[in-house]
Amino acid sequence: MTKKLIFYLLLINSLVMAQSNINPDISLIGIFDTYTNFIKDTPEYGKLNFDIPSFELFIDGYLNPYARATANIAFEEGEFSAEEIYAQILRGLPLDIQIKAGKYLLGFGKLNTVHPHAWPFIDRPLWQQMYFSDEGFNDIGLDVNFILPTEDFYSSLDLGVYTGNSMALNTAGEETDPDEVRGNSLIFVGRLGSFFSLNDFNNLDVGLSGSYGNYAQSSFYIRDSIGFPNQMLKYFYGGLDFKFKYKPDSYTSLVIQGEAILNHRDVIRGTDTDPVIETISTYGAFIYFDYQFFKQFSVGAKYDFTYGVIGDDYSATTLSNDDLNTTSGIEGWIGFYPVEETLAFRLSTQYLFFNLDDDMTKDGETTITLQMVFSLGPHKAHQF
Amino acid sequence: MKRILILIFIMIISIKNFAEIKVVCTTTVIADIVKNVGGDKVSVDYLCRGDQDPHFVEVLPSYMLKLRSADIVFKIGLDLEKWLPQLIDGSRNDKLILIDLSENISKKEVPTSKVDASQGDVHPYGNPHYWLDPENVKIMAQEIYNALADFSSQDAAYFKKNLDNFDKQIDSNMKSWTDKLSGLAQKNIITFHKSWIYFTDRFGLNVVGNVEPKPGIPPTPSHDADLIQQIKKDKLKIILMENYYSDNAPNHIAESTGIKVVKVPNSVYGIESVTTYIKLIDYIVNQVYSNDK
Repeated sequence: MTKKLIFYLLLINSLVMAQSNINPDISLIGIFDTYTNFIKDTPEYGKLNFDIPSFELFIDGYLNPYARATANIAFEEGEFSAEEIYAQILRGLPLDIQIKAGKYLLGFGKLNTVHPHAWPFIDRPLWQQMYFSDEGFNDIGLDVNFILPTEDFYSSLDLGVYTGNSMALNTAGEETDPDEVRGNSLIFVGRLGSFFSLNDFNNLDVGLSGSYGNYAQSSFYIRDSIGFPNQMLKYFYGGLDFKFKYKPDSYTSLVIQGEAILNHRDVIRGTDTDPVIETISTYGAFIYFDYQFFKQFSVGAKYDFTYGVIGDDYSATTLSNDDLNTTSGIEGWIGFYPVEETLAFRLSTQYLFFNLDDDMTKDGETTITLQMVFSLGPHKAHQF
Repeated sequence: MKRILILIFIMIISIKNFAEIKVVCTTTVIADIVKNVGGDKVSVDYLCRGDQDPHFVEVLPSYMLKLRSADIVFKIGLDLEKWLPQLIDGSRNDKLILIDLSENISKKEVPTSKVDASQGDVHPYGNPHYWLDPENVKIMAQEIYNALADFSSQDAAYFKKNLDNFDKQIDSNMKSWTDKLSGLAQKNIITFHKSWIYFTDRFGLNVVGNVEPKPGIPPTPSHDADLIQQIKKDKLKIILMENYYSDNAPNHIAESTGIKVVKVPNSVYGIESVTTYIKLIDYIVNQVYSNDK
């Protein structure tokens, strides 16, 4: 009896020890925004407003010598959601490919895969809000990544296939059933990226991205009663991105990063009773610089442009389907990082201005935001 | 036909014998030791530059390329290179052998209670700056020899001869370094970061304060004021600091007290003239010695 008891105690002890050895890394990133705006007829106008604090809980670790898994549980606007949950096979596959499967931020461009807390600025670039969503390009599927045999520089190719739920979100917002918006069809996303280490202090990354698929079915916009045959509305996104970083020492750095998108898609035009499908091409772009002039301070500015009007309602002619109106923005910020990357304060102001068709006008919008970001735990640095 | 086959066989054997072991080191100090032990049978590259803070190295894809073709990667360990696993994952090199050189080092400042961020950047497995003690570098060289000899057993004798030569070089310099520093008038010093404990313990110096209030935490005015009082009271002569840290706070303290700020590299190639580990320790010892006057 005593021997059995000792055996079980030893067994439990060894299991507990094993568990503690394989615990994943757990990190929590908290974000708290306070802001005011000068947008007419809004309740926040000229007042100090507090957003509900949001956070991202990262759970991350190796599954075995070949694979690791990550979950990012987000709490935003008072609701929990699985922002990312995926596994990656890192090594041991033919041709040295890596496979990533699950739900995650897609590698279209460079900025989309970086979580907003790690950006130097606060406001998501306008064209990402327009052609992706407020939460970026985030979908369920799998990606295969190849390292290309370029000897002198690092080059990789990503090819992915996804459910397309992200395009339904972009087309109709969160409230609508993705199947109702666009049926059940896959979308494809890929990126060819190259990294050049120019010297010890200067690095440059450039990339070309593409995405193709259906963003909606015409029946989502057109009533069945007029007898218009249901058709899939296709889109193609082409992207160009670059990031340059000059970092001569631990205390100084200059980042210049920009991305542009070409949006080529079928859209519904004509009248309610006589609709037609046309093809439009629109685009968006942003460029910013962030200059870290001392270890704890940085300052920067971003210029943004996109077709479509930020804040419009979803329809067949607005937002990503809009080829007449444009939104531009200028954002400036100062960042304060008291102790490494554990705590950050950012004071940012963004001014949006609109160029509308048909002699319509819309006043410019100014928002001033003070953001606090804290990082608890061993959250990993993002790759260059 | 038989002759051709024999010739091909000899060629294959020759190619294998001339094949270099591809080594990547996380720091330039390790790279210098590997060069000494591995000689011309090893090709060596490194990730963190000598003038760079090894705690914070960016995850660059170009580093992944270096690791992609490597046979062995040597690291300091003790949680110094938190950036390394991401680079190894990115390299996809499933044959890469990772050697942690801290294994047989007698660690200092190993926390005895729970570590948390309120204590600053405390390394939970002990202070990782052990390469600043030349005796520890001999242990590192032994580990490197073991790994290289395991990888290429036919070259073990060659590596052993190199190892012995390297140890002799360290030993022959050790006496002059020790003699020089044992003659210092003031053996109590201030350091910027808590990274000199292995060096000071080896050479009989005492660290009596740090410019950083806690490891990794930027200097604060109130802490500077305390240090200024301490320096005046104890007549301290030297603030020893790595050359990749900002000397704003130390210079401010120096203006108020007359203490000398001694900025030195803590790794090979930290400055242009420091091209080997021996030259590194030589440089640090001479700087400390000459500023004690």
